[in-house]
Amino acid sequence: MLFSHRFSTSLLHIAGTVFLQAGGDSYGSCNLKFGIFFELSVPRPFTPTNEALVYTNALEQIRLADELGFATVWAVEHHFLEEYSHCSAPELFLTAAAMQTSNIRVGHGAVVCVPEMNHPVRIAERAAVLDILSGGRLELGTARSSTWTELGGFEVDPDRTKKTWDEFVRTIPRMWMQETFSHDGVCFSMPERAILPKPLQNPHPPMWVTVTSPGTELDAAERGLGCLGVASAGFDEQERRTREYHRRIKNCEPVGAVVNDRVATLNHLFCHEDADIAARYGGQMIGMFGLANSHLLFTREAYPTTAYGLLANLTPSRAPARKTIENPGEASKLPEGVTIGDPARITSIIHQWEAIGIDEINFLLNAFEHIPQAMVLDSLRLFAHEVMPQFREKR
Amino acid sequence: MFTGVTPVSELVADIPRVEQWSKESAVFEGVEILQVSYELAGGSAAFERLLPPALHPTIPMLVQWVGWQVHDSAWGAFNLAQQRLTCRSGARPRVFLVGAIIDNAIAGQALASRWGLGCRTGEVKLTRHYDRAGMTVMVDDDVALNVELQDATVLKPDDLQFFSGFNTATTPTGLRLLQMDAHIDVQRAERYLPRLDDYEPAAWGPLSLQPHYAVTACGAAARIEVPPVRIICKPDQPAFTGTEKVGG
Repeated sequence: MLFSHRFSTSLLHIAGTVFLQAGGDSYGSCNLKFGIFFELSVPRPFTPTNEALVYTNALEQIRLADELGFATVWAVEHHFLEEYSHCSAPELFLTAAAMQTSNIRVGHGAVVCVPEMNHPVRIAERAAVLDILSGGRLELGTARSSTWTELGGFEVDPDRTKKTWDEFVRTIPRMWMQETFSHDGVCFSMPERAILPKPLQNPHPPMWVTVTSPGTELDAAERGLGCLGVASAGFDEQERRTREYHRRIKNCEPVGAVVNDRVATLNHLFCHEDADIAARYGGQMIGMFGLANSHLLFTREAYPTTAYGLLANLTPSRAPARKTIENPGEASKLPEGVTIGDPARITSIIHQWEAIGIDEINFLLNAFEHIPQAMVLDSLRLFAHEVMPQFREKR
Repeated sequence: MFTGVTPVSELVADIPRVEQWSKESAVFEGVEILQVSYELAGGSAAFERLLPPALHPTIPMLVQWVGWQVHDSAWGAFNLAQQRLTCRSGARPRVFLVGAIIDNAIAGQALASRWGLGCRTGEVKLTRHYDRAGMTVMVDDDVALNVELQDATVLKPDDLQFFSGFNTATTPTGLRLLQMDAHIDVQRAERYLPRLDDYEPAAWGPLSLQPHYAVTACGAAARIEVPPVRIICKPDQPAFTGTEKVGG
């Protein structure tokens, strides 16, 4: 009992299913919650010093975010994505984060649900250990990867990733909750075994699915999974997708015992008293991040398949998806809704996100260590002192 | 920044001259298309050496061999094979032409003079059966490419995506990359497993490409419209500073 949902949101039991409601008494008492999100992008050359600097800086940012009342720290799982993301073992990184913090929740987001990369039993085991070590602070995100760089590297058949993801998200909660588990499935099978340890949170940690392509939010809703947005869709499109998500999840058939009906989006954050400085550093950060993202080879581009409907990846600030016939000399304009600027501008933008029903905004804080660490930390402090209080206990 | 480092003149052998900007599109009906993709060996440092400074490599970089079987055109029927590399111009997906072979010299001259698509003359043969396909390219009786495509899987037409290419040409304003925007309206699509039986890099140009991992292949029947060149780039500058609009 000591740890059960110690840091989680309030629970509402309906017909045997636990609904995880936004607006509980945790997450810094905010209705709209703020998190930080790590890709761990590393500038070339990939020296041990550069790699270590990115990791140690990120951990320092997490410790500060914990002190400042941020709700969640998320870390992705990516493989082979040179420069763009060197976060290939997020469960280790998040364990370190959990050991250095007290309140911030740890978002394992998202673990790639294809058997060539992760056996579902290993996902359940690692997640349970992380939940225990963090004192019941785990959020588990799920995904299927969107790049040929990764899928090809593990010789994954892109036609099958949706099936494997679906089978994983339906079985992992059972592995956590049942004393023993056996399975005769399409993507994996196993005889009866006790999968241990069990997670600390009861009945199990909240689950999410990363949403990149339009329509994945409906997959999330139908399964009772939280919508972990990783591609900003712009206000109008996000509002439409959020409304449809909330409409559908009311009639979901949950894959676990917890329905997570939260919608999170991803954004960039650089907050500075001087709007011009904010725009300069923040704009450069977005540009560099977007350029590194563009170097990846997306599944649809390399491998024609019905299973991947959109040529896109984790591209916050790049909506709509790239058109293929355009003038390459035109610089991408900053899209609407990017949280870069002085506190007043960022507050105004977040009010717009809040108005369309977003529950959480997760922020990328840096890219390639372009922004000096001291400025990143100051940005977090300024945001926490000037912006966050305006979104506390409003409803 | 992860970007090409080699002068374009060292990457492309057949650089045509474009004297003036055509305002006419070309339309080819009922074209049979085959496209074969292989990952290249060598890693990032090798990929950078395969592109001019205007372009960025993809991770990994693919070599694509694309065959067009055109039954009718203003220059007669022709079969064209292109060798291209996946890349980015700015942040946008593109392919960079590093060799082409055509079996109709008149068509080749038209493609070169209007779109900068420099071709060598040779033999290009595309075959398609109900369960497999193939492409054979010969130059001076030597095999440049021989690939067998097996295990056909039917796809939806919009499962296929094709990207604009950059061709290299000498233009009135100097050496430039010409963006060739082929609008490909796919009517039939399938995917194959490729098997590369024979490949001679020297038949295509100066690059010693090392295809080492089969990704996939696709086939299509399509209507292809190639509009006039609208955008050109200085090969030694990034897209953000080196892009120019042409053709009015």
